[in-house]
Amino acid sequence: MATRVLTKGGVLVGLCRLRQPRLVTAGYSLSGQFYATAAAAVNTAPLITEKTDVTDKILNIPLQTPDFFRLSELFSLQDLFDARVHLGHKKGCRHRLMEPYLFGCRLDQDIIDLDQTVEHLQSALNFTAHIAYRGGIILFISRRRQFGHLVESMARDCGEYAHARYWQGGLLTNAPIQYGPGVRLPDLIVFLSTLNNVFQQHVGIRDAAKMNIPTVGVVDSNCNPSLVTYPVPGNDDTPAAMELYCRLFKTVVNRAKDKRRQMELLHGQSATAPTASSL
Amino acid sequence: SVIGTLESFLFRVRDLMRSGVVKQSEKPIWYDVYKAFPPKKDPLYIKPVAKIYGKKAEAVPDIFYREDEIRAKFYEVYGTGPRAFDLSKSDFVSTCQRFVEKYMELESQGELEKEFLFEQTGKALLAEGLVLRRRGGPVVVSDTRHPVLGMKLTDMLAELQTDAPGETQTLGGQTPAPVIPQ
Repeated sequence: MATRVLTKGGVLVGLCRLRQPRLVTAGYSLSGQFYATAAAAVNTAPLITEKTDVTDKILNIPLQTPDFFRLSELFSLQDLFDARVHLGHKKGCRHRLMEPYLFGCRLDQDIIDLDQTVEHLQSALNFTAHIAYRGGIILFISRRRQFGHLVESMARDCGEYAHARYWQGGLLTNAPIQYGPGVRLPDLIVFLSTLNNVFQQHVGIRDAAKMNIPTVGVVDSNCNPSLVTYPVPGNDDTPAAMELYCRLFKTVVNRAKDKRRQMELLHGQSATAPTASSL
Repeated sequence: SVIGTLESFLFRVRDLMRSGVVKQSEKPIWYDVYKAFPPKKDPLYIKPVAKIYGKKAEAVPDIFYREDEIRAKFYEVYGTGPRAFDLSKSDFVSTCQRFVEKYMELESQGELEKEFLFEQTGKALLAEGLVLRRRGGPVVVSDTRHPVLGMKLTDMLAELQTDAPGETQTLGGQTPAPVIPQ
């Protein structure tokens, strides 16, 4: 079954390829609308028991180590500082809920606490890696026009999807009508900037919470971090900072997918995953 | 209620699975990962609170350093230094920073008093080759003002009358008419 490539109402860049649904995790989002499309769905008949055990092992081993993909070596506090991630907006623009993440205020400019940012970024990248490892769809969203092209090219490079254009109201909540029946929604949404062009919270955050989709978001000092599952307090305005985030996410996703291929070969699943090796 | 106020979507999914509405085979991809690596803070929606009037504790402290006193005095006396800031270099040392470092050095040597330290730092930097020009010095009144600017018209006219009183009185014996400015 070919997953619908979401091309309507914007540019969703991604590879048009067969997404081999994994055994038990061939997920449709948990919204009431999708029960009816089970008929058009993938063959969910259980596979042979041996393969099930091996797949389970592949899926469960990474969850046991705290840093299975060794993501802590990808960035350091100094890198974040050099990319100006700690620079926030002025005191007047500060969001009340961002106060715990701020280090202080230097001459009215908010400085984000990079110690906390390191931890949050670590956990966010780890989550992204695990989702990519399990073959989940990741959607990168950023309504900043300055970085639209960067986000789209980054998504194309790591084989995932991006939406850097105007967000129509029902993209997630009304997906089967907007795109057609049998759409698979993203399993993770990464916001490289949680605000839209009028400095309000992006509609996608609320919609993702409604559709039970976890979100990772870079929250600046004027953003609302409450609904974002894995917020990453940091600067979202400087090109240096955005390039750092894009580079990190791309590396993480590619690393996770390579690891998956490696694990499958290691545990002898190469027979059932021909598409994975042809990626 | 608003989505996510009472429980995050993890609990919603967990309850759906426990009750059997969502089968194990349809478990979302992120479920195990979320359970294994939960976020630091549960993503609940926090309602915006009405504005709190009156005093409240400063949540985000101001960042000030000891050297800021020296910097403030430097900028007051010398204005912006002779050299512009080059932000492209991360290890750039500005004029003000050099001043501050010199000041701290002299202070740690501990011989001079505070009032003299400032002057001494300036002299030390001059010795190293860094010229600092004071900003807005005292206004100097030049003595070379043209003498014509000091003359007054009324005085000139009075002089004219005293110089030649006879000529004006022969004009029909009338007192000289006052000068009407036109």
